[in-house]
Amino acid sequence: MISFKKALTALAVGSALATTGAVAQNKPIEIQMWMGLTGLGGETLTKYGEEFNKMQNEYKVTVSFKGQYPEQRAAAVAAFRAGNPPHIMQMFDAGSGDMMGARNAIVPVSDVFKRASIAFDPKDFIAPARGYYGVKDGSLLSMPFNVSTSVLFYNKDAFKKAGLDPNKPPVTWPDLIAAAKKIRSTNAANCGFTTTWLAWIQLEQFGARHNLSLGTQSNGRGGVNAELNFASNPAFVKQVQTLVDMQKDKSFDYKGRSNDASASFQNGECAMITQSSGAMGGYVRDAKFDWGVAPLPYWPDAKGAPYATTVGGASLWVFNAPNRSAAEFRGVAKFLDYLRSTPVMIDWAKTTGFLPATNAAFDYLTREGYYAQNPRAAVAIGTLANGKQGEHTGGYRFGRWTEIRDFYHEEVEKALQGKQTAKEAIDNAQKRGNAALRAFEKTAVASN
Amino acid sequence: MQRRVIFNNKLLPYLLLAPQLAVTLVFFFWPAGQAIHMSLLQQDAFGQSVTFVGLDNFKEVLSDPDYRATLWRTIIFSSAVAIFALVPALLFAVMAERVVRGATFYRTVLVLPYAIAPAVAGVLWLFMFSPSIGIVAYGLKKLGVDWNPKLDGDDAMILVIIAAAWKQISYNFLFFLAGLQSIPKALLEAASIDGAGEWRKFRTIIFPLLSPTTFFLLVVNIVYAFFDTYGIIDTVTSGGPAKATEILVYKVYYDGVIALNLGSSAAQSVILMAIVIVLTAIQFRYVEKKVHY
Repeated sequence: MISFKKALTALAVGSALATTGAVAQNKPIEIQMWMGLTGLGGETLTKYGEEFNKMQNEYKVTVSFKGQYPEQRAAAVAAFRAGNPPHIMQMFDAGSGDMMGARNAIVPVSDVFKRASIAFDPKDFIAPARGYYGVKDGSLLSMPFNVSTSVLFYNKDAFKKAGLDPNKPPVTWPDLIAAAKKIRSTNAANCGFTTTWLAWIQLEQFGARHNLSLGTQSNGRGGVNAELNFASNPAFVKQVQTLVDMQKDKSFDYKGRSNDASASFQNGECAMITQSSGAMGGYVRDAKFDWGVAPLPYWPDAKGAPYATTVGGASLWVFNAPNRSAAEFRGVAKFLDYLRSTPVMIDWAKTTGFLPATNAAFDYLTREGYYAQNPRAAVAIGTLANGKQGEHTGGYRFGRWTEIRDFYHEEVEKALQGKQTAKEAIDNAQKRGNAALRAFEKTAVASN
Repeated sequence: MQRRVIFNNKLLPYLLLAPQLAVTLVFFFWPAGQAIHMSLLQQDAFGQSVTFVGLDNFKEVLSDPDYRATLWRTIIFSSAVAIFALVPALLFAVMAERVVRGATFYRTVLVLPYAIAPAVAGVLWLFMFSPSIGIVAYGLKKLGVDWNPKLDGDDAMILVIIAAAWKQISYNFLFFLAGLQSIPKALLEAASIDGAGEWRKFRTIIFPLLSPTTFFLLVVNIVYAFFDTYGIIDTVTSGGPAKATEILVYKVYYDGVIALNLGSSAAQSVILMAIVIVLTAIQFRYVEKKVHY
């Protein structure tokens, strides 16, 4: 097998050399980028790759979709083990802790730019993203790209039907509960409120909004020995209890994990939804009713609330591999440099509804009056970048977080089914999460 | 003149076997060996820190109450899938046997679902039963049934069982039909002459004579439910809500691919491998014994 593989490689190299000789050595260097985006976002990102290839002929970038983030990550891990990972991989927020635990597998983007002698200042990126993907010395491990945060979308038509003011979206959770009950009692919609991304919104974003700790070691940013401690805070239990209580009269209706609930807002079944701001592009195109966007609600009795929400979305990671040439890394740097350029960032924000990742793009959009004309788009950036910052608003960084999110999903689902209390749900989620973190610590420490 | 051809070359039989052996080695023994090897290691996702931990992964898996719950769930799920895939298939086969006009058409239509990929079958049922947009869910709602497989674990289980069984009916149908056709007509005619009704003929002649087929299908269906239903579960419920539809093979996928917990995932797949080996052994012994009735 191996000798056969070697023979093939030799053959390939041989023919490659032959071709290079024939076409006067301008065969471009291949750069592979894997992404986890579908639909509009995926198409737009692929387009940037093609545009970059047209601009120059030294490098040829191929952007390919390898499955949703978790599947893509598994494929990249397998490729890395085989010695041939993609040059660039897009990884969602929850995967960051795992990537950071495998420092030998990646090259920090700050280093990638430095090696290619391209000026790169992490301060060019909006502060919340910089904080999320950066390390203590200020350098960035991965490059923020599609940035989002959580907001509340509400159906103005349903509000009118229920006798609520469509221009006064709920600001606090008590407001939201009252509005949802009104919607149910007037039968303006079959369900008052639902949520996508249960753990991301009701645990992580909720935590940031109220400046609550998720774990020790500055929410995991200080080291892999961090322990989850959210269960000691009754606010998280109260939030789950709120959902359980509301579920009884469908003022809240659980519609599944990840983005599953989105369809029930889009078809008018649920009048309100807490969702990623990145969903806006889809609602603009597909929702057949008048809708509005409001900041994520908060509990007014929480000390100091509301605080800013935190970053979601994904960032771009650069893989290391033994056979990577300096020229390839230079190509990677040049492509990343193109992606973060202001025109691309502006186009990205306008097309997809994600937030601009750089200050320059944000300033440009503000000056241009984009946010004044599109107040719905302004809400997300408002709560993310302009909200009050606190000790726990800068994001978390735990290993195995994809799995821990699912622990939270499972335990809360059990509470919603009436099989356990809200307190048990939160306690169990933390207990199982900590077991996963300890296992992660064992392998992560050994690799450092 | 000698008619039998004799090859004196001792190497030839091995050469002729080589392609099949190579396929088995590369696609079965190699990965199986790797799974066993990985089940003894603890490592990070990228393979940068690898420690030999002996049987720790197995101890951890087997002492995990979640794993035992999943095992129990798998048994319920597999039995239900087998029953709901076998009973209708037998019914259809008996009925299709009796059809005279358009028999080929009926048979073709009944076999069609087998050609559908599990994930596609999953999506099909997912849409029909989806609480927000599904046509069946809409009908259930009209009937006053509170159908929500996103939250109700039993609803979710019913949904994946229906989807998984539906896909397997065709396969069973084919085997039952072949089995029925091989039952000597003379026996049935003799029974008719003796005055036996349809039900009696089925109970005393057809069903007993079909029993080797039924047993073979039972094992095949259980193996199918254990392993091949992964695609359906992934597209329909992803194992949720609250693990209500997580069966062993889905847990292997989840722990390995999503959670990147490779040691535990490998240990689980070794356990699954042992289960399938036992099932296959039972099948061979039984079928072998029953071949000459």
